[in-house]
Amino acid sequence: MVARPVKILLLFIIILVCTQYSTAQRTSTLRTKTGTIKITFVHTINEAPLVLDSMEYVNPFDEPYRISKLKYYISNIAVKHLKKSFAEPESYHLIDEADAASLSFNFDAPANNYSSISFTIGVDSIKNISGAQSGALDPANGMFWTWNSGYIFFKLEGSSTSSTLINNKIEYHIGGFAAPNNALKRVTLQMPDNTLLLVQAGKTCEIIIAADINKLWQADNNLKIAETPATMTPGAVAIKIANNYSRMFTIKELLTPYSP
Amino acid sequence: MKVKVIIVLFLFASTAWLFIGAVDNGPDPYKPKYIKLDVPKGWPKPAKDIFKDNPLTEQGFQLGKKLFYDGRLSKDGNFACASCHQQFAAFATYDHDFSHGFKDQFTTRNAPGIFNLAWTPLLHWDGGINHIEVQPLAPLTAPNEMAENIDSVLKKLRKDTAYPKLFKAAFGSNLINSQRMLKALAQFTGSIVSYSSKYDKVQRGEAFFTPAEQKGYDFFKIKCAGCHTEPLFTDNSFRNNGMAINPQLKDFGRMRITTDKNDSLKFKVPSLRNITLTFPYMHDGRFYSIGQAIDHYRTGIVTTQPTLDTALKNRIAINNAEKNNLIYFLYTLTDTTLAKSNRYR
Repeated sequence: MVARPVKILLLFIIILVCTQYSTAQRTSTLRTKTGTIKITFVHTINEAPLVLDSMEYVNPFDEPYRISKLKYYISNIAVKHLKKSFAEPESYHLIDEADAASLSFNFDAPANNYSSISFTIGVDSIKNISGAQSGALDPANGMFWTWNSGYIFFKLEGSSTSSTLINNKIEYHIGGFAAPNNALKRVTLQMPDNTLLLVQAGKTCEIIIAADINKLWQADNNLKIAETPATMTPGAVAIKIANNYSRMFTIKELLTPYSP
Repeated sequence: MKVKVIIVLFLFASTAWLFIGAVDNGPDPYKPKYIKLDVPKGWPKPAKDIFKDNPLTEQGFQLGKKLFYDGRLSKDGNFACASCHQQFAAFATYDHDFSHGFKDQFTTRNAPGIFNLAWTPLLHWDGGINHIEVQPLAPLTAPNEMAENIDSVLKKLRKDTAYPKLFKAAFGSNLINSQRMLKALAQFTGSIVSYSSKYDKVQRGEAFFTPAEQKGYDFFKIKCAGCHTEPLFTDNSFRNNGMAINPQLKDFGRMRITTDKNDSLKFKVPSLRNITLTFPYMHDGRFYSIGQAIDHYRTGIVTTQPTLDTALKNRIAINNAEKNNLIYFLYTLTDTTLAKSNRYR
């Protein structure tokens, strides 16, 4: 027969192993019920891919321009179908054309079919008034106004011979989270051709979102470079431009789920 | 017997593993000393808790203090926060209308004193800064002030032998990023509380006003306290007090932030605490004496400005005796404890 203390020891080991096992089990069940959504942004002008600095483009008013910098925030992403929806937690992404790694990112969502995706261009007001942030919202990323606390939601810089500014600069720094200068824009995109985004357990599905930069000058409002070569403060012009760029996103392609 | 001892030891060790096994505290566990903001008796609670996401600790405060006095936060090493915010001037710039910055440049506004920021919802003369943690970004990156950029400062701090340890003591690991730097600075500047002036001692029954001070206080409560509200001596509002615009600076104050015409020429009502230390006065430091500032309200207000504060439409009637008493009273707002405390240096 086994001695009593040894029995207690054995019992304890069993309990210990079971507890650890069930914890591991719980996380793995969670894992099997979620899939990964990968979002990729591609920037185009007149259907050609954006190339910084070296390429010259023409806007809808036949004004030539080059882009040297394109950065913007995509935040609070949510996917939805009928009554089911899922919002990415702590959802802040800084898209920077000069940093290829920033153009794609992943997050996990419950396995489901989704018919639409929505996101904010910019950073919600709470994060604008809550002090120093980190990660995508680190002020060191150059997307924060130091003299008028708040994030720059969207930054496009470059040059155009139509610009009257020094060195033919064009510079649009769009931000402003408080009324009446609120330039936050919410975009909702339906999956194309009545298809659904298939998020399958343990697999990755991909959405490729195209952004047509020329919409910045012509969508809801007409904005000629000759008249508005720059704006760097919250206000009416920033809101007009924000309205325009909120129209530039379309879903270009959905890639069916694949195993990573 | 031996078996029992082994079993007890085993149970103890495995229980410990079960509960804390997953948490890696490293060789030195993070044990900061939590401290509390000094909220003087009888003062209102701060409208919002500036330390809500930044728990105040002795280690964080000390790190913030070191950063505040460190010239390496500026491009050429000459301009620490403390170079414009001098303790002996209640953390304003002593005897300067404009402070000095990188390559002999001037600032464009008078440096305000730093105290009681936990009760100050919006910072800067125009209220452009909405949280104490992000304020240092403004002077740090301004080309005429510290002229630096965040990444460069962080590189300097990471190379230093002392900072990684201090960041670890304050925040639990030696990671040095902008968020931690800014939170530490906020712990220091946000902890500076001024409440030890003669006025405060009188309120607490520890001292008495002279007759002239008392007369000045009585007059103050009737004519000045509408904007310079006790106990902070500001209501934190933005008002146009009728100063002629400086044609070179063309500073329209609050309007730059709100883009609202109705905010043209409005500036934050400054606290009058430590007024003898924070001269010169007004957003552009145009008045060097308290007497000049009072004279502005008696005779100097430009009454034609459309956004002039309604309380000042007829200027303020103050006779010479009242002016003298008022000055005697304002002297009682000087907090020498703050100006000399070792805690802040």
